[in-house]
Amino acid sequence: MTKGLKLTDILVTIVIAIAFGIVYILWGSVYYALKPIGLHADQFVYGMWFIAATVAFLIIRKPGVALLAEIAAASGEFLLGSPWGLTVLLYGVVQGLFAELVFMAFKYKRFHISVAILSAIAACLGSVLMDFAYGEIGKLAAWNLTLFMIARFLGSILFAGVFAYYLVRVLEATGVTNLVRPASSKDYAELDQK
Amino acid sequence: MQLDFSSKETWLHRINPSLKLFVLIMLCIVVLLVHNLLFMVNLTIIVLILFLCFTGQPLKRILLLFIPFFVVFLSTSSSMILFGQGNTTWFKWGLIHITEESFFRGLLVGFRALLFAVLGLTFALTTRPVYLFYSLMQQVKLKPKYAYSFMAALRLIPIMLEEFQTIQNAMKVRGVVRQTGIRSVFFKMKAYSIPMLSGSIRRAHRIAIAMEAKRFSDTRDRTYYYEIGFSKHDLVFILYFVILLLGGYYGAVKGI
Repeated sequence: MTKGLKLTDILVTIVIAIAFGIVYILWGSVYYALKPIGLHADQFVYGMWFIAATVAFLIIRKPGVALLAEIAAASGEFLLGSPWGLTVLLYGVVQGLFAELVFMAFKYKRFHISVAILSAIAACLGSVLMDFAYGEIGKLAAWNLTLFMIARFLGSILFAGVFAYYLVRVLEATGVTNLVRPASSKDYAELDQK
Repeated sequence: MQLDFSSKETWLHRINPSLKLFVLIMLCIVVLLVHNLLFMVNLTIIVLILFLCFTGQPLKRILLLFIPFFVVFLSTSSSMILFGQGNTTWFKWGLIHITEESFFRGLLVGFRALLFAVLGLTFALTTRPVYLFYSLMQQVKLKPKYAYSFMAALRLIPIMLEEFQTIQNAMKVRGVVRQTGIRSVFFKMKAYSIPMLSGSIRRAHRIAIAMEAKRFSDTRDRTYYYEIGFSKHDLVFILYFVILLLGGYYGAVKGI
């Protein structure tokens, strides 16, 4: 066993992430379509921008994947010319780091939906911290800020938590995840049964 | 579909990509700490000059690229202007409460977003991703396995787009009935994302195996097809920002 990620892990992570990078760019128009509704309805779809970390980790299940995926997705979005420019890169690093910390707290051994949701909440927290520095949201009126937070956190749980989890569940059915996951103790047990 | 994205090469293209990225990120961090509106406006002008004059893009395309900037500016500043805290009321109507403080803070936030956007697009327009990753390997000592993975993944983007179209056509040919409402959204998400993701993972896996079969190694003292170094353009780039930052700050203090 070599330490760290192998070429296969990195390549698969980055390809997944770049695919989500394209989604991230397209998602910008969804975000702006909801903007005119006002009252932070747009914040509800914000959670989509944290999905790469959760999905990549749930597929590959190795340390460092969540952070790498979110950074790669952000840089893909950045290099393809996102209207937010460099912002996405800085946000991506912070969001990925926060998501990664949750998986680390579970020693990279838990892949339950609750862990996915927790990581989504953590990534959301990271983005909110960035927003305090970048968008000065702390200076919004209190009721408005509350609405903003509720919408953003609920959206994160739905998109980057629940949706990401079920996406990977369906992917598992295609058998593609067996290619890239490390062998688990369950796999060894199956070999012993004969 | 063949889009023409050709553009002239300018001195911004010849700057070392790692250095360019580093300077721009530093600038962004500085911008996060700026709370003076005049200084922010000056900074934006400094960066806009680079974007408008030196990206080598035809004027028409630059104007087209400008549209999202307005959206970003408006969207970022509007909620702060309309709902921000403040004491000196200018206008109040229902939930909307515009105050002097919130108005200027909104402008500040808007200009900050604009600045980030212009910086990012300037970088994206003047940097070839391949050079960026070669430079990151050579100057920043990024591990080759990360750099080459990025380059391979970027190459896969056109294939992914093609695949997307294939799925779209396949559904049309097979007469997939259009559903309505929220269920159609979920159906569509599943119908597109699962085949595309699984296909991409399989392809990435194959590429990695092929690379390793051809003895791709992660040693850092490898040879490079592109040797990326530094030039006098790098100095010009740094001096441009140093001089204009100081000038912008001086101007902001003097109230220009």
